[in-house]
Amino acid sequence: MGIDRRSFISLVAGGVAGSLFTPVIWKSLDDVSIWTQNWPWIPRLQYGEEAKVPALCKLGADAYGIQVKTVAGRPVAAEGDADHPLSQGGICPLGAASVHMLYSPSRVKNPKLKDGSSFKDISWEEAEDLLAGKIKEAGAGVAMISGDETGSVTDVLAGLVGKAGSDKTFLMPGESAPAAAALAMIGGDGQVGYDIENASYVLLLGADALGSWGNVARNGKALGASREKGVKFVYVGPAQNGTSAVCDSWVPCAPGTEAVLALGLAAVISAGGRDRASWAGYADFAKFVQSAYAPEKVSEITGVSVDVIKGLAQELVRAGRPLVLTAAGAGQGLGAFEMAASMSLNLLLERVNTVGGVRILPWSPKVVESAPEKKALLAADLAGYLTSVAEGAVEAPALLMVHAANPAYAMPNLAKAQAAIDKAGFVVSFSPFMDETAAMADLIMPDCYAFERLDDAYSPYGSGQPNYTVAGAIIKPVYDTKPAGDVILSVAAKAGLELGFETFEDVVKAKAEALGADFDALVEGGPWLGEEFPVQELALWATPLKEIPVTAADGKSLALAVAFQLKVGSAKVAIPPFNTNAIRFNEMLGKDMYVLMNGATAKNLGVKKDDAVKLSAASGECKARVRIFEGVMNDTVVAPLGFGHTAWDDFSRGKGDNVFKLLAAEAEGETGLSRFATARVTVSKA
Amino acid sequence: MQAKEFKVKWGMVVDLDKCTGCGACSVACKAENNLPPEVDASNKLRTNDWMNIYELSNEKPFPDHEVAYLPRPCMQCGKPSCSTVCPVVATLKDEEGGIVSQIYPRCIGCRYCMAACPYHARYFNWFDPIWPEGMEKVLTPYTSTRPRGVVEKCTFCHHRFMAAKEQARMNGEDPTELAEDAYIPACAEVCPTGAIKFGDLNNPEHEVSKLAASENAFRLLVKLGTDPQVYYYSKREWVRKLGDNYLKNAKGGEHV
Ligand code: SF4
Ligand code: SF4
Repeated sequence: MGIDRRSFISLVAGGVAGSLFTPVIWKSLDDVSIWTQNWPWIPRLQYGEEAKVPALCKLGADAYGIQVKTVAGRPVAAEGDADHPLSQGGICPLGAASVHMLYSPSRVKNPKLKDGSSFKDISWEEAEDLLAGKIKEAGAGVAMISGDETGSVTDVLAGLVGKAGSDKTFLMPGESAPAAAALAMIGGDGQVGYDIENASYVLLLGADALGSWGNVARNGKALGASREKGVKFVYVGPAQNGTSAVCDSWVPCAPGTEAVLALGLAAVISAGGRDRASWAGYADFAKFVQSAYAPEKVSEITGVSVDVIKGLAQELVRAGRPLVLTAAGAGQGLGAFEMAASMSLNLLLERVNTVGGVRILPWSPKVVESAPEKKALLAADLAGYLTSVAEGAVEAPALLMVHAANPAYAMPNLAKAQAAIDKAGFVVSFSPFMDETAAMADLIMPDCYAFERLDDAYSPYGSGQPNYTVAGAIIKPVYDTKPAGDVILSVAAKAGLELGFETFEDVVKAKAEALGADFDALVEGGPWLGEEFPVQELALWATPLKEIPVTAADGKSLALAVAFQLKVGSAKVAIPPFNTNAIRFNEMLGKDMYVLMNGATAKNLGVKKDDAVKLSAASGECKARVRIFEGVMNDTVVAPLGFGHTAWDDFSRGKGDNVFKLLAAEAEGETGLSRFATARVTVSKA
Repeated sequence: MQAKEFKVKWGMVVDLDKCTGCGACSVACKAENNLPPEVDASNKLRTNDWMNIYELSNEKPFPDHEVAYLPRPCMQCGKPSCSTVCPVVATLKDEEGGIVSQIYPRCIGCRYCMAACPYHARYFNWFDPIWPEGMEKVLTPYTSTRPRGVVEKCTFCHHRFMAAKEQARMNGEDPTELAEDAYIPACAEVCPTGAIKFGDLNNPEHEVSKLAASENAFRLLVKLGTDPQVYYYSKREWVRKLGDNYLKNAKGGEHV
């Protein structure tokens, strides 16, 4: 009979009491600890000179400056950068895990070519020649998708596509596009930002500003500072979340109807007696909101009581510098008219183009000639394009290049997006990770990870002030990867499509110069900050608003409220290895994710806590378990985005289900943008 | 048992009206202190997570429901229950600053301390710590890696305390009189809303001593007499009330 560890310990420990003063027991206990800890391998620490290097993190919703701690040149940990305006020393849960992603088991370690159902390794030279050939072959049949709105690599890639004679350049869905379209509707032109720090009252209409929306770290700092200043934060949304937990109040509002509430507030405010007759367009605007969005009707659609609507309107009018932020629960999916509702409300409150209000930032300067203007890039609708390709309404691209994006995982109409990628003649992924899109690709040309390459970011969406950050490489590529920017330039040259730059560094230098910033100073840390805001003549009703489509309750289905939590990833990255612990026991049970509904809703459905359920929508189905959570509106189910990966690694694969499957996109007739913020699902026992 | 008094008493005040439960502190703690990543962390009975975030509820039905998040490091109790039961004196509170130490090479894994800690702040290493290939290169030089079979816990990032003292000595300053920002643990440093404040509770100049004295400040289970050095702050009465009735229905925090 062997003596197992447990009985051995209890044997020894039992004899300990009262004998602590004899040296014998100390010696034997020492032996015990050596014996219990005697096991195969434990990594040893490596020491060396310590330093902190400025870097850029783009894993989440936002690109912001961080500090990476290095030991003997090895990055070991990340923290916020106190001098960066979008971090101010804070960091989000993805940034905190960013260093480990260098060695993520999902890294693609070298170029790969599809070989039947798997991949075979190829050299960089072969990969570049192959892609150059494909570009020449495809001509105007080239298309690209980028998930990086802020970086110049997107400009280079879009420039290549433009040079090839194609206009099929797309960004992943986000809020920049509807926000820019909404600004254009009131006569503006530029990137939309929010001066949250200087507002005296912040109304978050669906914007999970402290959890996953916009400049999360910066928003958090603004909230922290505002507590001492007595600034009121009000969160309006279908369910309680991290943002609502710290706001002064939570106003439950049916998912995807926050913009309707904005117009209801505008109706109340415009009826408030103040003389605005001299404002251009005001009369038509007031007439529209007051007739189409009377408080009673708004109350019916949103579930917010008439009293609360009137109370919020009063608070907005009384607050010195109110700011209204409108967003979809997942930071995407709103249409331009919904954004315009919020923009008009801010305009009515005289909060556009002003301190503590909505700011208009200049567009990022264009340095790659053949790339489309940023505005045009934002106006191209990816969800619509992929759906059309899948349905055969438009021709599939002969060559599809995907950079910093994972459309095979994070798109509405997901099945169609995947079908479209499948139909593309040849798919190239530049991802550093084996994500769902890379797994579908014909050729993977793995990009270097953030800390292995030069990268830049111009004013991520939401920034209250123009800013530009450049970060150099901190460490040599740990695998055989190359920076996408340089690879694209080199391939373009091989294909005979000169973009005017030899290296990606030259592109970044040109951008810095165009902004009037010093490249060397930028690389050393410390972003460039712009002080100039374009002055623009804005007017209500410059484009007439229209009623926002709302899917009516049918008594059988539930309204779906989706939520992103950065700790489990974003549209770009899956759960980082270091973040599995941050998933609470009531968010995941084994490999099943939880969806949230309140007790009354669960009772109506006849489901109980932990029951396995199926969520069904026209576009797809998801599996989950039920968690009863009283911070959810009636007849509403909250489902987390960020789970259900089919590629990646053991830390994320097969955990939960992908809620993007439930989101159907529909095109907004006037703008051509896809909206997918509202969905209804039926929930049944699985 | 007589509690030892210290001239400097490091303490933390967590403002629960600022905590969004985002998880950045937990992740930063794991990274800083070389806790290995865990493939399946949904089974909280076996996970190792020095900084755990609990969700608190006022337990009222919709629409009166409220939620708050509570990050829970080791309380560094003034009168620790853990150290008194340790047969091998692997854990002690005897250093200036009042941090409860945990000496891994001495720990025999008997887990008496875990049973004794009312805050579930101690974690047993059930599994060999395994880093995915290459990821061991990201180990920090601050905290030794711990083998399977030992108990571990938050140390207020003690290595940062040592480094701050060292720095003070190098600057010719008094290491027992550290400035407020000279020593900040990883979790407090990264928090995006600034919910976690850290400093000397005995120093009236330090923000934590002022916050801890607030009528909105409270500590977890003070009625047990553990005298924690971690304070919480909330203007919400229901949150403060829960502090002494620790997570009545919570699962997931308990250990075997
Ligand atoms: S919280 Fe637990 S582990 Fe920490 S000192 Fe108190 S009793 Fe010991
Ligand atoms: S003080 Fe340090 S060890 Fe303790 S929870 Fe915070 S980061 Fe972790």
